[in-house]
Amino acid sequence: METIINEFKEIAANPKKQLAMYKKQGKKIIGVLPYYAPEELVFAAGMVPFGVWGSNNKNISRAKEYCATFYCTIAQLSLEMLLDGSLDDLSGIITPTICDTLRPMSQNIRVAMGDKMPVIFLAHPQNRATSYGLKFSVNQYTNVKKELEKITGKEITDADILESIKIYNASRKARREFVKLASEHCDVIKPTVRSAVLKAAFFMLKDEYTAKLEELNQKLAALPICKWHGKKIVTSGIIYDNPVLLAALEDNDIAIAADDVAYESRAFRIDAPEDIDPMMALAKQFANIDCDVLLYDAESAKNNRGEFVAKMVKDSGAKGLILFMQQFCDPEEMEYPYLKKALEAAHIPHIKIGIDQQMHDFGQAKTAIQAFAESL
Amino acid sequence: MSTKYTLGIDIGSTASKCIILKDGKEIIGKSLIDVGAGTSGPQRAIDEVLRDAGKTLDDMTYILATGYGRNALMNLACKQMSELSCHAKGAAFLFHNVHTVIDIGGQDVKVLHIENGVMVNFQMNDKCAAGTGRFLDVMARVLEVKVADLAKLGAMSTHRVAISSTCTVFAESEVISQLSMGTDKCDIIEGIHHSIANRVTGLVRRVGVLPDIVMTGGVAQNFGVVKALEEELGQKIHTSPLTQYVGALGAALLAYQETIEE
Repeated sequence: METIINEFKEIAANPKKQLAMYKKQGKKIIGVLPYYAPEELVFAAGMVPFGVWGSNNKNISRAKEYCATFYCTIAQLSLEMLLDGSLDDLSGIITPTICDTLRPMSQNIRVAMGDKMPVIFLAHPQNRATSYGLKFSVNQYTNVKKELEKITGKEITDADILESIKIYNASRKARREFVKLASEHCDVIKPTVRSAVLKAAFFMLKDEYTAKLEELNQKLAALPICKWHGKKIVTSGIIYDNPVLLAALEDNDIAIAADDVAYESRAFRIDAPEDIDPMMALAKQFANIDCDVLLYDAESAKNNRGEFVAKMVKDSGAKGLILFMQQFCDPEEMEYPYLKKALEAAHIPHIKIGIDQQMHDFGQAKTAIQAFAESL
Repeated sequence: MSTKYTLGIDIGSTASKCIILKDGKEIIGKSLIDVGAGTSGPQRAIDEVLRDAGKTLDDMTYILATGYGRNALMNLACKQMSELSCHAKGAAFLFHNVHTVIDIGGQDVKVLHIENGVMVNFQMNDKCAAGTGRFLDVMARVLEVKVADLAKLGAMSTHRVAISSTCTVFAESEVISQLSMGTDKCDIIEGIHHSIANRVTGLVRRVGVLPDIVMTGGVAQNFGVVKALEEELGQKIHTSPLTQYVGALGAALLAYQETIEE
C-alpha cells in the first residue's frame, strides 16, 4: 500500500516529470483548464488530458502582462506556466469559460499562445439541463472534438467516445470509493495523502490511474475501520493542495470525512450515461451536476446547495467544515453567505480561511485551523 | 496537595509576554518584552518572569506556549495552543460575564464568541495589516508621534477627519495628504482611531455583538480606539490593566487545567 501511495505522491508533486514521460512515449498531451471540460474526448482521441490548475511553486511574473490583479491565482499561474515554458510539451489546451475570470482568460491565453499551440475555446451553457442547453453543450463539445481531431490527425468515433466514457465512469466510481475509504481509514489516508491521491488523477491517463487506485482501494477495504480520536471535518472550496496547509490539518489531528471541493469530489460526483448517444451522454453528465457554486441553479432561492453541503457534513459524521476560500473567486465568495446560513441552521461549526497559490506564509491559516480544532 | 506553578508564554509578532500562576488562581509573576517571534524577546521574557516570581523553570509544573511564535518553544513547553483559545480563557478569568473578545494584536485582529468561558466561534482578519497594531505603528511614524501618545492626542481632536481607506498603504497616503493640507494632527489621529474601529466592527458583527465585550491585546491600551469601537458598536467595552497579558494568562490557566486532567 505504501508503494502505491508513494507513487501517487510522486506524480502529484512532479506533474512536469509526468508530462515529459508521456511526451517521451510519443503521446500528444492536451492541457485542460478548470472546470468541467469533456476530458473524455481527449482520451477518446488517444491523447493525454493533463489538468492545469495553477501551481504552488511559482510566482506570477509574465502573466501580469495579461491579467488584472484581481484574477484568481489559479488562472494567473496557469498562464504563467504556459508562458514560462513549463507546459511546452502540450499539443494544445482546452479553455472552459465557466467563471468571469476564465472567460477573459481564455482570450488572454489565445493571444499569449499565438502559434505556439492550439487553444480550444469551450463555453458551457447556463441552462444546461434544458433541451436547448443540452443541444448547446453538444455543439460546443463537437467543436472541441473537431479541434482535437485536427491535433491528433484522426477521427474520434462514437465507439471511441463510448469506451472513454466507460473508463471515466469507472475512474469516477473508484475516486468516490476512495473518498469513503479515506474517511474510514483516516489514520492511513491523512490529508496530505488524500490530496496527493486525488491530485494524481489530473496528470495520469485515467485507465492507468484507475487501475492503481482500485488496487489501493482494495488494500484499504481489507483494513479494519480505524477508531479516530481526532476530529473529522468536511472541506469546501476550489482547491487546497498546498502540502504545508494540509500538514496543518494533520498537526491538529484533523481528518477529512468528505469534501465539497472543485479539485476533488465536485469533479467526479456524476457519471455519464452509457446507453445513449455518446456526445449527448457527455452533455447530460454536465447537465446532471448540481449543488455546485460554479453552475447556475434555477432554484437558487431554495438554497439547495447550502443544504446539500450541510447534509454532507452530517452524513459523513464530521464535526465541522473548513472552507478554503480562493482569493478573488467571485462564485465562491458570492455563494458563501448561503452556505453559512445553511451550516448555521444545521448547527455546524465552520471557518473560512482565505488562501491563494502565492501564499508562502501559512501562520495565520495554521492558527485558525488550530483554534478551530480546539473549539470543536 | 503540593502547590502547582504554571507558566504561560505568549510569543506574539511584536511582543513576548509571560505569566506564572500559583494553583491556577494567583498571578505571582509577569513579564513583557517589546519584541516577539524570532528575536531574543521570548528568552528574555521567560528569564524576567522567573526572576519576578522568584522561581526557576524546575519549579514549573506545566508550561504552555501560545502566540505566533508558539511552535518555536516546543523544546521548553509541554504543549502549545492557539492564542484564540488562550485569549478566551484569559478574558473569561478576568471578566466572568464575557461573551465577546476583541483581540487586536501587532499584525492581526481576532474576534471570539465565548459561552461559559469557552470559545465557540471566532473570526480573524484577512491577510492585511488594516485595523491592527501595525496600522497604528505606520500612522504614528508618518505623523511623527509616539504610538503611546496617539490616544492622548486623539482626545484633543475637535474636527475629526475621515480616513476612509481600509488599506494601510492607501490610508498612509490619505494621512500624508491631510498633513500636506495642514489638517491638525489630533483630528487625523481621531480619524485613524475610527478607521480601525470601523474595520474591526465589521468583523465583530460577523460573530455577533454579545455583551459583555472585552478588548485584549496591545491596542486595547489605546483608549481612543476603545472609545471609537464603543461608539461604532453602541456597547460598553471592558479592558484590563493586564490587557497585553491576557494570552499568557490564558496559557497559564490552560496549563493548570492540564495538570488537573493529568
